[in-house]
Amino acid sequence: MRRLPVYILIDTSGSMKGEPIESVREGLEAMVSSLKQDPFALETAWISIITFDREVKCLLPLTALDSMQLPAITTPDSGPTHTGQALQMLCGQMDKEVQLSTPERKGDWMPLLFILTDGKPSDIQLYNKMCSEVRSRRFAGVIACAAGMKADTEPLKQLTDRVYKLDTLDSSTFRKFFTWVSNVVGEGNRSVGAADDLELPSPPSEVNVIV
Amino acid sequence: MADIIKVKATDGSEVQFINEVFSSGGMKDAYWCPGKKEVVLFFRDKVDARTKDRLNNIVGLYRDRIFNQPGGQYWSKLFCWPTKMVEWNGKTGIVVPAYDGTFFFADGNFKGKEKNGKWFASPKLRNKFLRPQDKGTWLNHFHMLIKIARAVKRLHAAGLAHSDLSYNNVLVDPPTGSACVIDCDGLVVPGKYPPDVVGTPDFIAPEVLSTRTLPVDDPNRKLPCRATDRHALAVMIYMYLLYRHPLRGSKVYDVNDEQRDEVLAMGEKALFIEHPTDRSNRVKPEQLSPAELPQGDPAKLPYTICGPYLKALFDRAFIEGLHDPDKRPSANEWEEALVKTTDLMQPCSNPNCREHWFVFDNTTKPRCPFCGTEYKGVLPVLNLYYSPSHGKFLSENYRLMVYDKQTLYMWHVNRFVVPNEKISDEDKKPVGDFHFHNGQWILINRRLPDMWDKTDNKQIPVGGYVPLTEGRKILLSAKDGGRLIVVQLVKN
Repeated sequence: MRRLPVYILIDTSGSMKGEPIESVREGLEAMVSSLKQDPFALETAWISIITFDREVKCLLPLTALDSMQLPAITTPDSGPTHTGQALQMLCGQMDKEVQLSTPERKGDWMPLLFILTDGKPSDIQLYNKMCSEVRSRRFAGVIACAAGMKADTEPLKQLTDRVYKLDTLDSSTFRKFFTWVSNVVGEGNRSVGAADDLELPSPPSEVNVIV
Repeated sequence: MADIIKVKATDGSEVQFINEVFSSGGMKDAYWCPGKKEVVLFFRDKVDARTKDRLNNIVGLYRDRIFNQPGGQYWSKLFCWPTKMVEWNGKTGIVVPAYDGTFFFADGNFKGKEKNGKWFASPKLRNKFLRPQDKGTWLNHFHMLIKIARAVKRLHAAGLAHSDLSYNNVLVDPPTGSACVIDCDGLVVPGKYPPDVVGTPDFIAPEVLSTRTLPVDDPNRKLPCRATDRHALAVMIYMYLLYRHPLRGSKVYDVNDEQRDEVLAMGEKALFIEHPTDRSNRVKPEQLSPAELPQGDPAKLPYTICGPYLKALFDRAFIEGLHDPDKRPSANEWEEALVKTTDLMQPCSNPNCREHWFVFDNTTKPRCPFCGTEYKGVLPVLNLYYSPSHGKFLSENYRLMVYDKQTLYMWHVNRFVVPNEKISDEDKKPVGDFHFHNGQWILINRRLPDMWDKTDNKQIPVGGYVPLTEGRKILLSAKDGGRLIVVQLVKN
């Protein structure tokens, strides 16, 4: 049975401290518990969580949904946002964790990547380099989310064409966002339209689509 | 507290609902009606005139054809069928009955969740997450599948096709042997209303998947229809009995692109994992996780454990008819084969057996394929014969396995009585029962006025019994269609 790897990258820089990061955590918790009740996700989904501020940490290496525990997420008081380094770690983890097909064996589904950030990358050079690296790899979907009114969507557009904006950083917004993420994870098993291609479910109303 | 909205349905009746979305699906938002016996589903997007026309026919004409006929009540348990169409704030909606409570987990980790069929069709989910009381026995699964096959048969008989049969659209409850077809608003009327969807992964017919990229009006494009429903039904039956997908083997069709590999494996190149001669898509059990075993390994539990009638249909569905839609078995054939197979079933004597029932394997040493427990003792097998003309009896390739406290029914007695939705209440009553009594197997006659022991040439009166000994011939009924049974004893 193919696995569906889901990588979640979360900005933990100083500006996320306090209510925003607590809301993210709440949203993640709600997402995990709802995925754990979804038979399709329980069968296929594997989750990894990487956080980034001045330091980049792989808080949760790729783990089967049913045996995963949500790790504690901490934020420093201030400091840079090393988004580029986070993408670098992501690529490294993928090389180690994602199983590719061989003539004898079916590999994993291509991964889903969600990245949530409220600022712009501080390591801009590395970020630019890693954006083209990520774009050259095959993903089932790369979804970037700019959180908060001040969040800059421009750098994210370099990473993916699917950039969304959350205006508020409260728990109900994040909960809706992560509910949507869990719908995306389960999407492969829904009815397929007669006319169009495979499509993501439409995002919740709080999410603004950046075209 | 949300307010209550009152609208007029297209049939002129009043519909009330609570103005608060309680659930959202792919295309529709759901609102409760006061009392929570019904739900109004509003399409989020504007509905075109053709879809409106279709919905109107589904709540009117087609509903009439199925439900407002003699015996129509029977179907209300098997379908969650839209009853009314409404318009509100420019949106189109349908009123549907709320799902029966039996289709939700009552407690445990998944309390309140719908019993999506996926739970019961995947070895990993069964072995790791479901509790024994959620799973039911293997016999329960047969009962559930008989209902599903019957519901599909009814749709097809009414000239309709479901077009999206899948775990998501058929709710099931194995412990009670229940099933209910939902999402009937996407029904396809061949030639009149084309389908909105091509189906759900795992259930899409190969010809639909391999022509999916052609334009909808291309003559070579294959869209869902009754023949593709038949494929989906066959997949569903295989999965609910064997807990694995019939086409998901180890063969890799595209090393570099797993999406394309998937489309080929389920479409153009689809190949049965248990194909008798082409072994290239066999499951490699070492590639499965421990939680997927033993069910995931066809070598351990081959499809032949489902008995001869179903084996023949699986062959037609997944070997001859996989790429030749006209050869696929009809829903009616599946229903009959499932019913006949339940007559071949034996309870497993091992109280800890995972499935509790198995199909008699036609050997002299019957054993349960699930736990390996052998049947010990004498096992009567009744071969059924019918009489095309007076005094002459022909085999029907129909057998009834006997177990302690098993019942005999009219559909065993008379070949013109068929155990389907049309059967009368009178014919549903047991007419006899089998017992292992004082060291021998006996059949007690409860209601058959002219049961006759041909071997000893004497009547078996109502309330009397006949021992089941090797070769004994018993005429169950002298009426037209009445059957003769010949006893065969398996000793182990």
